[in-house]
Amino acid sequence: MPGLATSTWLLFRTQLSRMWWSRRALACLALAAAAPVMAWLVAAFGQATGVEIATNLGWLLLLQVIVPLLALVSGSAVVTEEIEDRTISYLFSRPIPRASVLLGRWLAALLFVSTLLAVSSLATVLLASRSAAPGAAVGSGIAVPLLEAALLGGAVYSAIFAAAGVFFRHPMIVGLGYAFAIEGFLANLPGRNQALTVQYYLRSIVGTTGSDAWREVEGFELSRFDSAASALVTLLVVLVFFLAAASWRITRREFVLGA
Amino acid sequence: MTALLAARDLARWYGPVVGLVDVSLELEPGVIGLLGPNGAGKSTFLKLVAGEIRPSRGTIEVLGRNPFANRAHFAETGFVPQQDALYNDMSGRDFVAFLLRLSGHSAREARDRAAQALERVGLADAMFRPTRGYSRGMRQRTKIAQAIAHTPKLLVADEPLAGLDPIARRGIVELMLELARDGTSILVSSHVLHEVEELTHNVLLLHRGRVLAQGQVPEIRALLSRHPRKVEIRARDARALARAVLDLPGVGSLRISADGTSLGVETHDLEGFLAALPRTAAAVRAGIRSLETPDAGLEAVFEYLVS
Repeated sequence: MPGLATSTWLLFRTQLSRMWWSRRALACLALAAAAPVMAWLVAAFGQATGVEIATNLGWLLLLQVIVPLLALVSGSAVVTEEIEDRTISYLFSRPIPRASVLLGRWLAALLFVSTLLAVSSLATVLLASRSAAPGAAVGSGIAVPLLEAALLGGAVYSAIFAAAGVFFRHPMIVGLGYAFAIEGFLANLPGRNQALTVQYYLRSIVGTTGSDAWREVEGFELSRFDSAASALVTLLVVLVFFLAAASWRITRREFVLGA
Repeated sequence: MTALLAARDLARWYGPVVGLVDVSLELEPGVIGLLGPNGAGKSTFLKLVAGEIRPSRGTIEVLGRNPFANRAHFAETGFVPQQDALYNDMSGRDFVAFLLRLSGHSAREARDRAAQALERVGLADAMFRPTRGYSRGMRQRTKIAQAIAHTPKLLVADEPLAGLDPIARRGIVELMLELARDGTSILVSSHVLHEVEELTHNVLLLHRGRVLAQGQVPEIRALLSRHPRKVEIRARDARALARAVLDLPGVGSLRISADGTSLGVETHDLEGFLAALPRTAAAVRAGIRSLETPDAGLEAVFEYLVS
């Protein structure tokens, strides 16, 4: 019987080869393209400097909207897609640890989301830097923290939404509610409530490791930040916690499919 | 000999809907047909046996094990689910090979076994095409191939002959008989008696979530023959036809509609009645326009049995 690592690898590899040409993948591509397209438009036709475009679009559009949305679209499908397609019977009638279905498919989703977010972040910075408005050059103090936060955010959010797919029947609705109602509300409340959100830790990483230009972005100027190391550890703990909880649940849960 | 399957007070419900209730039985290895009308609880029973769902109450053991989420059970069991679902972007060969890899076979062995299983179900020519282009029958055969490719001790098949044309159906029946001869136990469901009869005489009758009877097909046939069957006939002159069919074999009661154009007949010998009817109707120039046997399905027989 294949162990956890072997079956996770098999499921990861198969899912990775299958997911690129799905409708879901096209939706993700469109989402990922939104920030670079916006950066190009503003740089070409607006008055803002490259730094202003990169930091504002990087935070307000990419990290606050596109990262959670991309993670939601692909993360919530990790288990739900097999249920909706009614193919989970085949996987759950094989002698594999059930958690490998979650982990293998989540790793494929993670690689997919990370690739899109990396390209999207770097393209946003690159296109923003083409602005003709006079100002400082868009340097690594803008690009690197944005890339780090996007990749970390994609990983943590996709783990949360993959877990939602194991716990809830409609993870997309739950995920939308969480990402934009709960997080959106808490992340903008003054005080330590912000520390209950993923956004707070992403902002901490960007705010403490990035250039001073990030402090000019709406939402950064009054924030207190955790150190980057502390934020990183917290995000990794959240990620592991949700994957562990979802693995525990999927091992015990039955999925009732209709004919 | 270890029982193939043992259930004690087995019950399963889905919210307020009862799928199976108070099932206690033991089945010996072999081929067992699960027979019952739609909604009888066949799929629920098979999902419990396959380990896809767990009982709401009671216990079930398959080959001495609790099947739910049991990896040792899955290694020895092949499951043909009822739903028409495959990985549509994969070829039949890749789909079966992928599942074989998950059963622990090496890549090469999985490819070889997948090809062999697909050849056995008659899909040798189509195995490299994406399954999205398969017909209903081909998809059904792919489902069977993935269930037999790892040579299971027990094959659990939920309506495996549904959607197959007569030739493919014959092929699958022969394949299952061959598997049975090789020592594979098979639990197969259907709502069509003659389908099951081709595979085995050992049947389990389910109705409304309960086991109604467990026995041999001839006993079921006997029950069927005792059940009066209805025939609805529309004819130009139903009254003349009614007078003529009174003497036909097995006719128990007659009912003529008020306008004299339709006739309801109850008979204990449906085949004899239908064989004699054309000549009888022609003799009295009744002018038959249509003929229906509304209770020909198992549902009616089961209703009769429980009443």
